[in-house]
Amino acid sequence: MSAFQVLIVESDAREGAALRQIIHNWQYTSASGSALPASVQLVPGSIEALEIYEEFAPNLLIFGPRAARNTSSDEIRQLRQCTGIEPVPILFVLEESDVGAEVTFLQDCDDILTKPYSPALVELKLASIRRFCEFSRSLMAQRDRLRRHHADFLQEQANAREIFGNLGNESCLDDTPAIRYHLSPRAVLNGDLLAATHAPDGKLVLMLGDFAGHGLAAAVGAVPLTSIFYSMVPRGFSMARVLREINRKLYGILPRQMFCCLVMLELDPRRQHLRILNAGMPSPCLKRQSGELHLLESRHLPFGVLSSDQIDAAVVNLRVLPGDRLYLWSDGIHEARNSKGEHFGESRLLQLLQADGGNGSQAFDQILVAVNAHAAEQHDDLSLVELDLTDASLRRRGYSAMDPSGDRRGGRVGQWSLNFRLSQEELRAADPLPHLLSVVGQMPGAARFQEDLAIALGELFRNALEHGVLELDSSIKSTDDGFIRYYDLLAERRSRLSDGWVSISVHCSEHKTGGLLTLTVEDSGTGFPEVRAPRGIYSGRGLDLLQTVCRQVHYAPGSSRVEAEIAWGDGDGSASDDGKTMQSPSVPV
Amino acid sequence: MVVSERFENRVTSEVSDSGEALVIRVVGNFDFNLHREFQRAYRNVAPPPKVFLVDLSATDHLDSAALGMLLLLRDYCVEMGREGFQPRVELMNANAHVSHILSVSNFDRIFSIR
Repeated sequence: MSAFQVLIVESDAREGAALRQIIHNWQYTSASGSALPASVQLVPGSIEALEIYEEFAPNLLIFGPRAARNTSSDEIRQLRQCTGIEPVPILFVLEESDVGAEVTFLQDCDDILTKPYSPALVELKLASIRRFCEFSRSLMAQRDRLRRHHADFLQEQANAREIFGNLGNESCLDDTPAIRYHLSPRAVLNGDLLAATHAPDGKLVLMLGDFAGHGLAAAVGAVPLTSIFYSMVPRGFSMARVLREINRKLYGILPRQMFCCLVMLELDPRRQHLRILNAGMPSPCLKRQSGELHLLESRHLPFGVLSSDQIDAAVVNLRVLPGDRLYLWSDGIHEARNSKGEHFGESRLLQLLQADGGNGSQAFDQILVAVNAHAAEQHDDLSLVELDLTDASLRRRGYSAMDPSGDRRGGRVGQWSLNFRLSQEELRAADPLPHLLSVVGQMPGAARFQEDLAIALGELFRNALEHGVLELDSSIKSTDDGFIRYYDLLAERRSRLSDGWVSISVHCSEHKTGGLLTLTVEDSGTGFPEVRAPRGIYSGRGLDLLQTVCRQVHYAPGSSRVEAEIAWGDGDGSASDDGKTMQSPSVPV
Repeated sequence: MVVSERFENRVTSEVSDSGEALVIRVVGNFDFNLHREFQRAYRNVAPPPKVFLVDLSATDHLDSAALGMLLLLRDYCVEMGREGFQPRVELMNANAHVSHILSVSNFDRIFSIR
C-alpha cells in the first residue's frame, strides 16, 4: 500500500513547519495492520501546489492559516479540478478566534483544523480522512476491474454476434420474397434462431428455434443446431433424421436445465405439401386463403430434454392450398409486457391475423407494430416469420445445394451403374436417398441432373414404399382429413414393417453430345393395378412431377417395376419412343 | 432482467402433514430470478421426501427458465435414486395459463400433473 500523501500550502514558514511536525508525529495504522508514516510536501502557495500536484498526487490538502485566508476560490477550484474522480479533501487551518465568526472563505474547504492545535483532535481527523481515502481507493480499483470485465464482455458479445451472423450466411431466407422475417437485434444472443435452406429436390426446410436459458450459454447451442441443419438438409436427409440428430446432439451438450424449443417445417412447393413439427414453440398459425386460421400446436417435447424421442408421430402433414400463409413466432411476442405487466398473448395476435384481408400480407407489419406499441419501452426480443406457402418463387428450379459453385457442370459424367436393395430393417427407419444422392453427387457434372434426380428418386422411392410395400391406397388422401390420416397410417405401418424390400438402380450412359440416367425402382408389392381411380386434388401429384423432370416413365400394370429416364443434351442419341411408354393412367404416387 | 425485487418470500417449502411430501410453493412469476431460491427449497432436505410437490396455485406465469428449473429438480431426483430411493416430482394446482405453457412444451409427458 502506498504512503499517505499530504500537501501543505502555507506561505508562513513557521506555520508550515508546525503543521509538518504534527503530521510527522502522527502514526496511522491501516486496515491491513501496517503502520506507515505520511509523506509531506510543503509549498508556499497555490501556484506551486498546482505545479507539483500531478507528480505528488496528494491524498489530502491542508491550507495553513495564512494560505487559507489568501487563496482565492478560483485557485481552489483549479486545484480541485486536478484531482480527477478520486475525491481529495481540503482542510483549512483556522485561528480559534475565528471559529464561530462568519468566515466566507470556508465554503471552499471540506473541513477545518483549529489553532492552537489539539494533537488528539488532529490525529482523529487525519485518521478518519485516511480511512476514507483507502475506502475510495478500493472503490476505484473495483470500478476499474468492472470496467475491464465489461469491456471484455462487450468484446465477447461482439465476437459471438459475428459468429452467429455468419451462421446465417448459408440460409436462403433472403433469396425469395415468399419469406418475410423479423428477428430483433438482440435475438441471436437471446437464443432465438432462424434458418432455412433447400433440400436437393427443391423442398424448402425452415426452422425457428428458441433456446431456454439466458445469455451466451443459451446462444452457444445455436452452433451445433445450425451446423447440423445446414449440413444435413442440403444432402437430402429427411426432416425426422435431421431432428433426431439435433436432439441427440443437444441432449449431449446442453446443461440439464437448458433445452431448445423448435419448429421445423418442410414445404414441398411442387406437391403442395407441408410437413411441420412443433416442439414446444408457440403454435404457428396457418392462415388459409378463406380466412380460416389453423393453429399447429406443439406435439413434441423441446429438444435436449430426453435422449429418445417420438418425432415421426409428432410431425403434422398438411395440404397447402393457393394463397395459404404460415406465421411463426417465438414466445417473445406472447411475453411482451406493457407497463401494467400484461402479456401481449396469443389472442391479440390471432385477432390481427383474423382482421387481415385475404390477399394482402399486412398482418406481418401490423403484428410488429402492435407488439412494439404494447411492449412500450421494453422492446423485448421477438421473432416473427411469414411464409407465403404458394408463392411462385418457391417453385423455381435450379437449386443445386450440393454444388453451389457449378464447377462440376462441365465435367464428364461417364458410364456407370449403382444398385441399392433395401430390406424391411432399412425401410423401417433408414432414409436411403441422402446416401444415394451423395454418391451420385460426387460424379463430375452431377449438377446437370442433381435436382431432377433427387425429385425422381424421391417420388419413385416413396411410391414403392408407400403403395408397393406398405399397400397404402392413395385415394385415402382425397379429403383433408384423409390426407392427415394417410400420413399417420404411413408412420404406423412403417414402424411395424416386418417384410418387404425396395430395390433402386441408377444407370448412367454418356456420349459426346448428351447423356441419359436411367432409374429403375422395384418393390416387393403386388404391382400396379389395371385401373386407377381418377386422381383427386389430394393425390396423384407424383406422376406430374415425374414427368416434369423425366424424359420418359415406363411401367406396366401388374408389375412393380418403374423405369424413368433423365436426359441431357440429346440423351442417348436415338429416338426416344420405344413403344413401352405409357402416358396414362397415372403412376399411383 | 429485473433484479431489484426481493425474492426470499416467493418460494416457500414445507413438509406435508403426512410427512412424505415436500410441498414447494412458488408465488407470482416463476422465472430465472427465482433459481437460487427454488434450488434451496429442495436441496438437502432431511429426511428425503418420497415426493416433491410443486404447488403452482399462486404462480401467475412460468417461463422457459422455470421449465429448466423443473428439469433440474427431476434430475436431482434421479441423482438421489442412485443412492437409494428415487423421489417423484409432481406439479399441482396450475392455473389455466400455466397449464397451457406446460402442455405447449409437452412437459405433461415427463411430469405428473394434478
